Amino acid sequence: MHESISLFELNSRIARLITGDTGTQNVWVTAELSDVAVRRGHCYMELLQKDGNGTQVAKARGVIWGNNYDRLSREFMIATGQPFATGIKLMVKASATMHPVFGLSLVITDLDPNYTMGDLLRRRREIIDRLTKEGVIDMNRELPWPAIPQRVAVISAPGAAGYGDFINQLLHNPSRLKFEPRLFPAVMQGDKAAASIVEALNEINAQGGWDCVVIIRGGGATSDLQCFEDYNLALNIAQFDIPVIIGIGHERDITLLDYVANMRVKTPTAAAEWLIGLGEKALGDLDAKAQLIFTTVSDIIAGCKEQLSYYAGLLPVVPFDATRRAELRLNRAGVLLSGVSANKLSPARARLDVMAANVAAASSQAVARSRDRLAAAEQLLAALSPQAVLNRGYSITRVNGKVVTSSSQLTKGDHIETTFASGTIQSEVK
Amino acid sequence: MELKPVNELSYNEAISQLGQIINAMQAENCDIDKLAAYTRRATELITECRRRLTATDEELAQILKTLDRTGA
Repeated sequence: MHESISLFELNSRIARLITGDTGTQNVWVTAELSDVAVRRGHCYMELLQKDGNGTQVAKARGVIWGNNYDRLSREFMIATGQPFATGIKLMVKASATMHPVFGLSLVITDLDPNYTMGDLLRRRREIIDRLTKEGVIDMNRELPWPAIPQRVAVISAPGAAGYGDFINQLLHNPSRLKFEPRLFPAVMQGDKAAASIVEALNEINAQGGWDCVVIIRGGGATSDLQCFEDYNLALNIAQFDIPVIIGIGHERDITLLDYVANMRVKTPTAAAEWLIGLGEKALGDLDAKAQLIFTTVSDIIAGCKEQLSYYAGLLPVVPFDATRRAELRLNRAGVLLSGVSANKLSPARARLDVMAANVAAASSQAVARSRDRLAAAEQLLAALSPQAVLNRGYSITRVNGKVVTSSSQLTKGDHIETTFASGTIQSEVK
Repeated sequence: MELKPVNELSYNEAISQLGQIINAMQAENCDIDKLAAYTRRATELITECRRRLTATDEELAQILKTLDRTGA
């Protein structure tokens, strides 16, 4: 028989070993959270360490006593926007304790939410980078909105306050804009949320005919947003071919989905208001167009009336003006005509006058010339007449009445008659 | 031009037709003979568009009934 100790004694020794070693007390440890359960105000959990392949390499039980848990969980929620839940990475201040009955566990007295935040952001960044690399990150964000998205597919938890708020807001809008919302129920928290929302998206897509999708949360106190940090869900929203509005967070919460959805709003009510805003803008555009048509028609008609009255005003004056103008034209034509005839006739008349003068001159000249010639002829005649010759001392001898020009014509005894310029004598040739 | 009844147009078609009519009316050489036809058509389009945007009390009640059925 060996000497033995009681189990209680062994556990007590282990407890003494652990608590005596400062390396196990109040140390900051990083681990992954799993199997969280709250009983009688205390929070029990498993802390895990996994290697790169996801294989567990270390595991320990952890507890946050009720006196700390309220405060720590509240602070953690405020800082990270999510509750204590399986899957998140934690940095905890832990002290190893050995309870004789419950065994080894880590008593957690503090949390560093920054570590969790950093891990969440890093993981989100990885997914965003991946979606960017795959070229899908902006696909839904770049979709144009229809003029008025009236057929609204709503993904929400049925019967949730947020959904009711949304519907009431949407349908009781003051402009009486018509919307046709329809609920596509989905689980909106926990592990099944992502897959459930993807399923609802698929149903909306299969049905077709919707103008947009609104994903809103049921509301409630907790804001477990970790379930939306899901690559597959983000991928589905990014690639969805109608605009998606996300209204799952509260004021300052941002999830992965806000990076891929077309529109991000803070609350379900805000989602409804945004849609109403689009519709009211469309209504406003219609009113503006109606006003424009009214003023355009009024302007055109006023313009036509003005033109008409202008013409009407001209009516009493225009005929007289016209006759006066006609008269004027006629007069002008007369003047012009006389001018023309004067211009055309006077040279002709002048030519005629010149011609007449010429004729007169020519004839008198001709007469004069004839007279001169006659005078000359007379002078010549006078010069040539026998009397003139006789006057110069010549005489004419005739025998038997014939003029004798040679002595041979005469014979002795002829009686000749000699004519002088004045007087005649008879002679006998001897 | 043969015009489709306004209720057979999509909202976008109706709006763009409305814009064309307004442009025609504002053009320098607007045909006054067509003014009445333009105005009638534009009014029809606006009324139709507005009708599609807004719901009647009856329709509202109908939609709200579906809300009750989903249990919100």
